Amino acid sequence: MVSQDKNSSILIADTNEEILDVLQLVIGRMGYEVIKCSTAYGIFSEIQIETYPVIITSLEFSNLKGGELVDMINKQSPSTQIIILVDEHSPDTALKYLDKDKGVSDFLTKPVNSAALEIYIKRAFKRRERQQKIYTLERERDSFERSSLQFRQLFDEIPCYISIQDRNFRITGANKLFKKDFGDYIGSYCYNIYKHRDEPCQECPVYFTFQDGNHHQTEEVVTSKDGKPHNVLTWTSPLRDSDGNIYQVMEMSTDISLLRNLQSHLTSLGLMMGGMSHNIRGIMTGLEGGVYRLELGLRKDNKEQVHDALGTVKELTFRIKSMILSMLDYTKERQLSPTNVDAVKFARQVADIIALKAEKNNIELKIDFNESAGMIQIDPDSLNSCMVNILDNSIDACIDDRPRKERYQVGFSLRGNNDYIVFEIADNGVGMDQETREKMFTLFFSSKGNKGTGFGLFLSNHICEQHGGSIEVESEPGKGSVFRVSIPRIMSEENRTL
Amino acid sequence: MALKILIIDDDPNIVTYLTDLFQENGYETCSALDGSEAMDVVKKETPDLITLDLDMPEEWGPRFYRKLCQEDEYKNIPVIVISGITGCKYAIQKAVATLVKPFDRERLLKIVKDTIG
Repeated sequence: MVSQDKNSSILIADTNEEILDVLQLVIGRMGYEVIKCSTAYGIFSEIQIETYPVIITSLEFSNLKGGELVDMINKQSPSTQIIILVDEHSPDTALKYLDKDKGVSDFLTKPVNSAALEIYIKRAFKRRERQQKIYTLERERDSFERSSLQFRQLFDEIPCYISIQDRNFRITGANKLFKKDFGDYIGSYCYNIYKHRDEPCQECPVYFTFQDGNHHQTEEVVTSKDGKPHNVLTWTSPLRDSDGNIYQVMEMSTDISLLRNLQSHLTSLGLMMGGMSHNIRGIMTGLEGGVYRLELGLRKDNKEQVHDALGTVKELTFRIKSMILSMLDYTKERQLSPTNVDAVKFARQVADIIALKAEKNNIELKIDFNESAGMIQIDPDSLNSCMVNILDNSIDACIDDRPRKERYQVGFSLRGNNDYIVFEIADNGVGMDQETREKMFTLFFSSKGNKGTGFGLFLSNHICEQHGGSIEVESEPGKGSVFRVSIPRIMSEENRTL
Repeated sequence: MALKILIIDDDPNIVTYLTDLFQENGYETCSALDGSEAMDVVKKETPDLITLDLDMPEEWGPRFYRKLCQEDEYKNIPVIVISGITGCKYAIQKAVATLVKPFDRERLLKIVKDTIG
């Protein structure tokens, strides 16, 4: 017997009380609970209290048109299935109310055939059950779509580079930021896209995570598709399938370039301060001495000593003032003191400084200066260190390459056009691979594999930029390198007061 | 006979300062502007005490001091280091004292007095 709960209750409604009694009996024997109504208002009241899975009703109520009744029931309870009772004389009237969307899908002609009635009632219940299932599935699907969207948005909006890799380091997925800066190369190798390498990196954290299932962290320098280097902090996470096996690893990298740039600025500030300290101490001592001698001179009425001492005090006060001012300027970027110099004379001074080292190491320093290169507006002290660093680096590259070649040479040439002076330094030393080339001007955190990426080159690049110039590098491993330093002849206003 | 102090420093302002300071306090002075010429001055003047700067362009302090120690006649001349380099305490271990610029005048004079009188 069907259980007597509201899920198997049926509401029957007709103006004819006799029909209702018969129906109640018949349907009751089928095992359903039956509620009778003889007015439209009765129907209305009942459905406010309970939700009926099936309602069997005539549409001939005095104060309500058939269509209105169906609408009322459907509005109150959209899951209710309605079976219409029609008069034997006018079965066509029912046809126009057949509307599965409103729950009306069957009609019975009076007098009702009880076999047909039972079938129709069962069908109605089944239909309702199916509809409930569809409705639940739709809700679950919507919920799933919403979380899927949320996850996707989260994945894409996180301000980190996220890539997902399989055991072969192939990228199977990446977030928006990764694609923007490194390209949409799903299926490519991580080490190729991130580092421009042909094989996996030495201490790859993704590899370690695949091995031990733990998180791993490193700091790296990666290069975006526009050639810019980025210092990043990388964190890897294992992704497991439903059996708990690691099938992919997620790699998240946070860009800390800004932090490292700040750090390198502070470091170079520290270095500069360290270098100046000795100088300042000397000036202070001289100043103290000047004042002491001034006192002596005044005490002994020695006009010559007074005059001399005063001169010392004036000179040293001026020097210490310029030092402190330039130091203050450096904390917000040092102001360059541009002077007009003859480019060839300047280049010769640079060559002189490095000539001894080249000679001691049996490396030929080949000079080729265009004598009519002309004048250039530069800060000679700082550009001097910039050029010396690069030459020094080239000499080291030759030393490192020994004894692969018979002769080692560093060429230093100077050319000028209307707007620029170009210094070119070419060596046939050990050369650099793409990865090293891209990292060479950064203040690289990790010092492993540091060929050609010393602090000197970082400073050279910095000084060059301060002058409004640029450094181009060409290099091939085993063959050598060429550095092209282009400096504008006239220093622009904005570089002057940088 | 007055005691003689040799002042070695590449900064002429400091040489003038120390010269006037020592002379005012009854010492005789001589000077050298670099480690490279200092040895000649030592041989010529035979000072009783040397004040030595460390950071000089041609030949710096410690190099000169090594040379000094190789000469039996001069290796026992007391040396006071006066330098602008901080953290130079152990540059010349056998120095009587190491002063960092700017130095305390009175302290320097006291050390000189205690060493040679």
